[in-house]
Amino acid sequence: MTTHSTGYQPLALVYGVYAILFAVGLGVPGAWQPVAFVTFYVAMGQAFNIFLGLTGYVDFGYVAFLAVGSYGMAVAVASLAATGLGLGVLGVGLVLGMVMAALLSVAVGAIALRLRGAYFAIATIGVNEGFRYFIEGTKLWGGSEGIIISRPMRLAFGTELANRLATFWADVLVFVLAAAAALITFAYMRSRVGYALMALREDEDAAKVIGVNVTRYKILAFITSASLAGFIGAAAWALKTTYVFPDDVFNITYTVEAIVIVLLGGTGTLIGPVIGGLVYGTFKYWLAVLLPGLQLLILAPLIILIVVAVPGGLTGVIKERVRGGTAARFVL
Amino acid sequence: MKTRFLSALSAVVLAFAPALLPGPALGAGPSDRVVIGGTIGLSGRFAKEGEQSVWGIRAMEKWTNKVVGGVMVKGRAIPVEYRYYDDESRKEAVISLAERLITADKVRFFLAPYSSPLTLAGAPVADKHEVLYMSHGGATDRVVEQGYRYVVQTLSPASMYQTSFLDMVRQLDPGAKRLALLFKDDEFSREVMKGVQAHAGKTGFSIVFSRTYPSEVKDLTPVLTELQAAKADVLAGGGHFADGQLLTRQLADMRIDLRAASILVAPAIPAFYQALGGVAESIVSPGQWGIGATYSPEAARKRGIDYVGPTQTEFMDLFLAESKGVSPSYHAAEAAAGFLAVVKGITEAASLDPKVVRQVMNRLHFMTFFGDWKIEPDTGRQIGHEMVLLQWQRKKLEIVWPPSAQTSKPVYPMLTTRQREAGQLAVPR
Repeated sequence: MTTHSTGYQPLALVYGVYAILFAVGLGVPGAWQPVAFVTFYVAMGQAFNIFLGLTGYVDFGYVAFLAVGSYGMAVAVASLAATGLGLGVLGVGLVLGMVMAALLSVAVGAIALRLRGAYFAIATIGVNEGFRYFIEGTKLWGGSEGIIISRPMRLAFGTELANRLATFWADVLVFVLAAAAALITFAYMRSRVGYALMALREDEDAAKVIGVNVTRYKILAFITSASLAGFIGAAAWALKTTYVFPDDVFNITYTVEAIVIVLLGGTGTLIGPVIGGLVYGTFKYWLAVLLPGLQLLILAPLIILIVVAVPGGLTGVIKERVRGGTAARFVL
Repeated sequence: MKTRFLSALSAVVLAFAPALLPGPALGAGPSDRVVIGGTIGLSGRFAKEGEQSVWGIRAMEKWTNKVVGGVMVKGRAIPVEYRYYDDESRKEAVISLAERLITADKVRFFLAPYSSPLTLAGAPVADKHEVLYMSHGGATDRVVEQGYRYVVQTLSPASMYQTSFLDMVRQLDPGAKRLALLFKDDEFSREVMKGVQAHAGKTGFSIVFSRTYPSEVKDLTPVLTELQAAKADVLAGGGHFADGQLLTRQLADMRIDLRAASILVAPAIPAFYQALGGVAESIVSPGQWGIGATYSPEAARKRGIDYVGPTQTEFMDLFLAESKGVSPSYHAAEAAAGFLAVVKGITEAASLDPKVVRQVMNRLHFMTFFGDWKIEPDTGRQIGHEMVLLQWQRKKLEIVWPPSAQTSKPVYPMLTTRQREAGQLAVPR
């Protein structure tokens, strides 16, 4: 009996989780935003995992891709909402957000991916801060004043639809992204790309020696991860909050959160970011409700404890528990 | 296969899905009380302001319940309850917790979070649920320019922060013409700067210098050298605490003497004087409110408008009991005034329907210890409240403008650098 995963069961498990979350959000009055809150973390973890989890490289400037993506949507809405494109402007915004994030990743990757370890991490922090100051200094996209798109959205789509876009459809897009990120991760893990990335993650020099084009695969993972981040920024930030301010969207805390989610769930796994995002988001939400002001004080040591106790993440624990059993088919 | 899949799925999800349900409201249901709620940053970058806001609001919650028995609706006093969650000064938390407050806690009157971006983040949720959205810490004008139907502002918008300063100088010194502007390059400060630029022409000033500096500035001497060459009479500038302190320090170091200097935010905080000592004497700062402001029931009566809420002294007592002795900043006062405005709106409307209350608010003009409250009907923009000008005099922060709120006459022109460094204190004539 085969006890390791070879079929589509792991993907079905992830989609099943999403389906339940979606159903809870839709079916229970008042649950939509809490669900969306958690889904944001799940999606961010999924997208980040494609690079961190599969390559082992830690990108501390990851939030820059979300930020640039949010600018893509904001610029599209601010400049095209009045042109009669209708809801098509949102499609333009999403594509623009992804393309801008991809272009930034190409620019960053071409330089920073030549570095390894701490050098790579430091270089990416520099990119994040540097790009933020570039926007503020050159007054690009409103500079420090940012872009607010509530009014153009309301004028173009009407009050009801604009509210619905910000409070519902933006979250649906994040669900879609989370599903797409899971599919891409699954496809990579089950293909030559995944094997190459796994090889370079374990030993980059050895991977090179056996003929793996490590640069190509690193850049592929980097661009994929960045593009997905751009989509999240466009949907979960610009469209949902209806504004983009540079000091807000380039906030490095989001990168730290993405790292925590991936480590918590298990790096380089399919279900890991889902579990990490669920645990992190749920704890954050309930601690804010029950112990306002003290949640970070409780959450931080808790996360440290989990990460230290289970270095393989929660997925590692689950894998250990189901090893040899039929449930192992579902855990990737 | 199907069973195995469902088992695996259940293991992952069932532990979390119930936790995502909004759950029942914490505490008593809304039938026996009016719940006024909001998210506020008790952690993260706005924690200090958030803490002050909560203390201010809780002080008003107590006053409302103890003194008037709650909000009056159709002749019945209903106790009022303030319910809040910590949004960590983060937009994602604002949105999810706002929905919880509205759906689970049945909040129909929402006190917006602190800061303009977070106020903007919660606005679509409040608008969707048709909940009154009281902005008490979002100073940007753009909050009320987006077309939200239920946004109401209690504090003066950013564009008005430095206009009182120009009014004061014009009245004290018709000869002062040359105005210099030097602001931090951020969203709030730029809006303040735009407001000054617009007001300068109306008050007869010509702008001889206009610049911004980066958020993380460490040295302003190059830009101050240019400012010195511009030979300005007065300066309006600043941004937040660190840069405002740096600006004041380096103005003195470079011996740039002006007839008056009004700097945003920093001088209004006691730590400013502790850091700069005598150099802070006679520096002016705009504020939404200051301790000792002379808004009172008598002042309101004289002007023929209602006075709502506690007096200054009562507010101070209630606040200090909440904060365990920490003095209130203007953040506390504006949040408290926002709460009082909601209570007044409900009482005047004799209804708990946010739509009706919002309509009734259009015709309200009253005074609290924070100052006047009156909104522009179409937008909800605050037009009644006037900024006060604070000035360091004799090691104390005094309210010097407007005359209706002043605790001391302004010291004008300000002391020269040499006088301040020699230890001379600013004493009004």
